[in-house]
Amino acid sequence: MNLHRLFHTTAIRLALRYALLYALLVTVGLGVLYWATSRYVDAQLAVGLKQELERLTEIDRRSGRKHLIDAIQAERYSGSENRRFYLLLGTDGQKLAGGLLDWPPGFVADKQVRNVWIEDDLIPLRMPDKDGYWPMVATRLSGGERLLVAQSVRQAEDLQEFILGTMAAILAVSIGLALTMGWLLGRELLLRIDAINAIARQVSQGNLSRRITLSGQDDEFDELAKHLNMMLERIEKLLMGMRQVTDNIAHDLRRPLARVRNRIEVTLMEAREPGEYRRVLRETLTDSNELMATFTALLEIAQAEAGSFRGQWGTVDLSGLLVELGELYQDDAEARHKHLELQIESGLTVQGSRHLLAQAISNLLDNAIKYTGDDGVIALKALMNTNRIVVSLCDNGPGIPADQRQKVFERFVRLESDRSTPGNGLGLSLVKAVADLHKVHLELKDLHPGLCVELQFMS
Amino acid sequence: MRILLIEDDQSAAKYLEKGLAESGHIVDYAADGEDGLHLALTGKYDVLVVDRMLPKRDGLSIIRMLRADKNKTPVLVLSALGEVDDRVDGLRAGGDDYLVKPYAFVELLARLDALVRRGRERDDSGHLRVADLELDLVKHKVVRAGRVIHLQPKELRLLEYLMRHAGQVITRTMLLEQVWDFQFDPRTSVIDTQISRLRAKIDKGFSRSLLHTIRGVGYKLDESA
Repeated sequence: MNLHRLFHTTAIRLALRYALLYALLVTVGLGVLYWATSRYVDAQLAVGLKQELERLTEIDRRSGRKHLIDAIQAERYSGSENRRFYLLLGTDGQKLAGGLLDWPPGFVADKQVRNVWIEDDLIPLRMPDKDGYWPMVATRLSGGERLLVAQSVRQAEDLQEFILGTMAAILAVSIGLALTMGWLLGRELLLRIDAINAIARQVSQGNLSRRITLSGQDDEFDELAKHLNMMLERIEKLLMGMRQVTDNIAHDLRRPLARVRNRIEVTLMEAREPGEYRRVLRETLTDSNELMATFTALLEIAQAEAGSFRGQWGTVDLSGLLVELGELYQDDAEARHKHLELQIESGLTVQGSRHLLAQAISNLLDNAIKYTGDDGVIALKALMNTNRIVVSLCDNGPGIPADQRQKVFERFVRLESDRSTPGNGLGLSLVKAVADLHKVHLELKDLHPGLCVELQFMS
Repeated sequence: MRILLIEDDQSAAKYLEKGLAESGHIVDYAADGEDGLHLALTGKYDVLVVDRMLPKRDGLSIIRMLRADKNKTPVLVLSALGEVDDRVDGLRAGGDDYLVKPYAFVELLARLDALVRRGRERDDSGHLRVADLELDLVKHKVVRAGRVIHLQPKELRLLEYLMRHAGQVITRTMLLEQVWDFQFDPRTSVIDTQISRLRAKIDKGFSRSLLHTIRGVGYKLDESA
């Protein structure tokens, strides 16, 4: 995976943003902690210094100067683990005891703890302590001598350094974590996007049967994949339809075209009687009309399959439409010695194209009348069945053999037994296309004898 | 009648011009949208035949310009675009009829005739009359030579349309569109059956038949023939 791409993913950008925000929060938090800790340490030091001054003053008062000096000396040689420095000056400013080399200039002996700058030259050379602001406290003893206790900041500094170090470590770890998370997340997203891209590339190269594999996590990527797969399904179906149309046109339109062409060619081979020309032209006109009808039907099917409609989709008064068509065909059926019964429930409406629905129903009626024998009985029914509109057209004609029932919906498919009757084999293809477009479940049922075409409006 | 034909397909236009002229009409011809619009605005025509897709200016825009100019000359739109939506677009632009290519010449002729003649109106008492056939549009009553004829509602509408266009040839598709509001081609026999039923009611038993079949074209309700 390319690092440049990774850094352009939404996930890694989000991760970086969050890492920054997180770092800021941690810094502020630790800063507050540091500030509070320092204050606490300072306060502790101040209390310690005061107590120490108190203790030494007490020794001086109870046991006398000698003992005080001893105590200071003892502290001085104890290794100064708590890194305290002492100074006892006589009234004349003479140093009597203590590790500190001299009195810090300007420091007042008023028992108040203050931070005072200590130069290096006040600290004995063998001590590791360095210059800095040291908290210190001093008092004037009963004899006028001045006693000072100071705390080397080394200890406090150590603590501060430790806290700062910890803060830096925590910060580094949290930013690292945020970045790692972002990277992992970005990689996961990229892997799945890459999978989708790979399929899309294959599809655009012509392999239309490829589909995106779902991860099974049922997340937004699966959702996207599902929709893309549905889209691909539709595209493949449309393309297959188009391919089929092209094949069909090649097969079924070439023949009549060849017929027309041959007839004209042969007629033009020599001079003929005017009556002959008229006859040929009339035949040609009939053929071209037939070609036109086939062509129109093919286009209509393609249009219905593509579902490309703008204006003509709306609420259709299905009951009205069926009655109108039914009555139109009723007379036609009677004239052919067949009987068409109508049982149309009133008030049925559907969403769709009136034009296409009318065309489809009329194709079914055409077929029923065409294929039932004399005295055939045909019934067109429409009713509301558990919230679904069901339209059925049943006849007592020869029916369709079970193994042919799916095939009859394909373009140009005609049953062997119907070759002698006129027709282009497109009627049921259009019915199927219109049914699919209107989300109608189309079923062919055997009545032994007879055929029932059932249309169930699913929405 | 005077017809302006605006069509860019020259060979199609030639035959159309010839056919219309042989049918007794005077035809002016324009091969592109600009010329067509110019002729339509300056000349006086009974009807315009306008192809939808033309060079320089498309057919629908010509119609819009004419209508904006308060020119009410009926227009028949010819188009290779045959979907229902295209038809709706054509009529919405101000066209009066729409014919999809390829069409039968007789269909075009019949429709032009219907557009120009517009159909006759009922008389003051709400009657349509053709010879001795009388249709009372208010009471929905049909009387021929004093004999009352009972018709179904659809038959009444069919008869009304035929009577309004008496003397004109009406094609099957025109009947389907106007009387049934269907824009598709059912088997021709469906309309033929309706016509024979109507004929049985209005012509049977009378010495003169009024409802004639014009072979290969359609029907005509006529008192003269």
